[in-house]
Amino acid sequence: MALPAAAPSARDRVSARSSGVGERRVPFADLRTIVFIAVRQLWERKLLNGIAVGGVVLGVLVLIAMNGIMQGFSMKFTQAILKISPHVIILDTELRPQPSILARYEQGLVATQVAHEVPSDRQARIKRPYEIVHALHELPDVKAAAPSLSGMALIEFAGKTKSIDLRGIDVDKQEKVTPLSQFVTAGSIATLGVANDGIMVGSGVAADLGLHVGDVVHAAAPGGRPLDLKVVAIFEAEIPPVDKVRAYALLRNAQTLLGRPDIISRIEVLLWDQDRGVPASDRIERAFGYDAEPWQETNANFLAIFAMQGMIANFVVAAILLVGGFGILSIQIMIVLQKQRDIAILRSVGLRRSDILRIFLLQGVVIALVGGVLGDLLGKLALGQLAKIRVHMEGLVKSDTFLIHEDPRFYLYGLAFALVVGVFASLLPAIRGSRVEPVDVLRGQIG
Amino acid sequence: MSAAASLAPPPHVLAETRALYRALSGTGAAPQTILHGIDLQIARAEFLALTGASGSGKSTLLYLLGALDRPTSGEVWLDGVEMSSLDDDDRAAFRNERLGFVFQFHFLLPEFNVLENVSLPMLRRGVPRSEADDRAYESLGLLGLEDLWRRKPGQLSGGQQQRVSIARAVANDPALILADEPTGNLDSRNAELVFDVFAHLAHDQGRTVVMVTHDREFAIRADRQVALRDGRVLGEGRRGEDILPSSRRLLPSDPP
Repeated sequence: MALPAAAPSARDRVSARSSGVGERRVPFADLRTIVFIAVRQLWERKLLNGIAVGGVVLGVLVLIAMNGIMQGFSMKFTQAILKISPHVIILDTELRPQPSILARYEQGLVATQVAHEVPSDRQARIKRPYEIVHALHELPDVKAAAPSLSGMALIEFAGKTKSIDLRGIDVDKQEKVTPLSQFVTAGSIATLGVANDGIMVGSGVAADLGLHVGDVVHAAAPGGRPLDLKVVAIFEAEIPPVDKVRAYALLRNAQTLLGRPDIISRIEVLLWDQDRGVPASDRIERAFGYDAEPWQETNANFLAIFAMQGMIANFVVAAILLVGGFGILSIQIMIVLQKQRDIAILRSVGLRRSDILRIFLLQGVVIALVGGVLGDLLGKLALGQLAKIRVHMEGLVKSDTFLIHEDPRFYLYGLAFALVVGVFASLLPAIRGSRVEPVDVLRGQIG
Repeated sequence: MSAAASLAPPPHVLAETRALYRALSGTGAAPQTILHGIDLQIARAEFLALTGASGSGKSTLLYLLGALDRPTSGEVWLDGVEMSSLDDDDRAAFRNERLGFVFQFHFLLPEFNVLENVSLPMLRRGVPRSEADDRAYESLGLLGLEDLWRRKPGQLSGGQQQRVSIARAVANDPALILADEPTGNLDSRNAELVFDVFAHLAHDQGRTVVMVTHDREFAIRADRQVALRDGRVLGEGRRGEDILPSSRRLLPSDPP
């Protein structure tokens, strides 16, 4: 008899529900539920998910450490090379060689065939160099310019001979382009400017010949007049390829020694902005007709090596992150297969396919984010520790420690790559989970 | 489809199936027909027992009534809505809002405590957390489980777990509660307890309950029994009638 009395109340309840009144609802109920389930399930499988996180941490850690070292090394090299070398070098190669005076006079070719061409004794040179230097200062990109002469010479000291790359410079002008005084380790560059017969040698040259400030070396070059020069300074640019061969002398001494009186073979240019090397060089070439070489071109082989190293390092990083991704993938697949029953329950109490999909995707994202943040933190620690490791490096760059450059962008990259890996790795398990048909699971259980 | 066929059932009918067929395309084998045209009406506040041997199609019928499965042909009307007019998401929402399920293997989520298991469907629907918890707690109280709300399912006995899953179905305040062999996996004392809960829900709270059961004793105590055999309705009986002996008598004249 209780039945007829109770029935209307049940009907009221249902119709109230159907018309959408009588129950308060909060927005984003789906997201709230998904986050609740995803986070709880992750937390209850700490060990497994910890392993998945570990894979991501490792990938991000290596990404940060590798790039920190690579960047540190290449930036140190670039910084060092750009202090001792100019941003742009104007070389004595004429881009539009003038025809000979005779050809100009005859208004045409004077010979149709040259049987045996002897190299001209007219040596390559930059014509009217001081006018060019003056004009260079008018260009908006140019901060300073200095004319110089370079050539190979031999120096002899105490019975030992060494071939050097001799630069004849105007000390004041050169100092404005490449601040040599910073690198002087013994003696003084000022003395080079005032002494008549001074020479400044690289630390490697000095070491090879056992030179000290005050020693007098005998210098000679083919076609020039030998000179006795006094070592007034020793410099160390911390770039062994430079320190081992280079020496600086006054321009007029170099011209005498190399047998090229009054000749300028190069003009070194300092730009306001080192990154404008290429456009500035193009402008200079068009203006003066001489080959102008930006530093990127001068050091192209080194920069190419750095680029290649960077690529290899990032391949390694990508491989590790990929393995981390497979870690997430395999664990998530396992969980999806294990959780068929739970998926069936969730679906039967009203979660949608897309809810299930998002639960597993969210778990992948959380694993990736936790891994990314931990990887960032550990990466920061690792960079700090790496910078303390004492190493003796004397190749392209001289240093006593690992050269580390901490670029905040890499922390973001680490996080972003982890996220991409997390989403992709959990996509397949998530799709698989969302396709579970509750009825199939229920039948399997009962049958 | 004719206009007559798609007319909604009268309001006192909560669930109705019309010429319901369900075939399973078995792997490699020819499609196996599980339900052969079931026509069934379930009134509001009715306590219905579906009986039959295993393989009779009673569970499949229950899944179709629960919008968990789609028929091969025929119609399922629930609370004035024809289920094939709904897509997968809408059916999920419908289950969430209007249906409550209890399964034989008291499917609870092992990571969540008792209260969370019961309140989860309400959370998905957008019921505020505190309200959902209150209602879940109230529902657990109805089943004498309020002291266990903090426990994980793994710390409960089978009977307790089954009662929690009933609390989950009830807390949702559903139009229809569907139970698939709810007593099948329990000892007789717990089975009795669970059955009494369903009887209470139907008779004292005016809820509609459809229960699949093997157990003749329980089936007889429901308001109405429907017996299935080989995907067809074999016979019906009211409370207290033992339809199985009569159905055995029907067997020789049963059409093939």
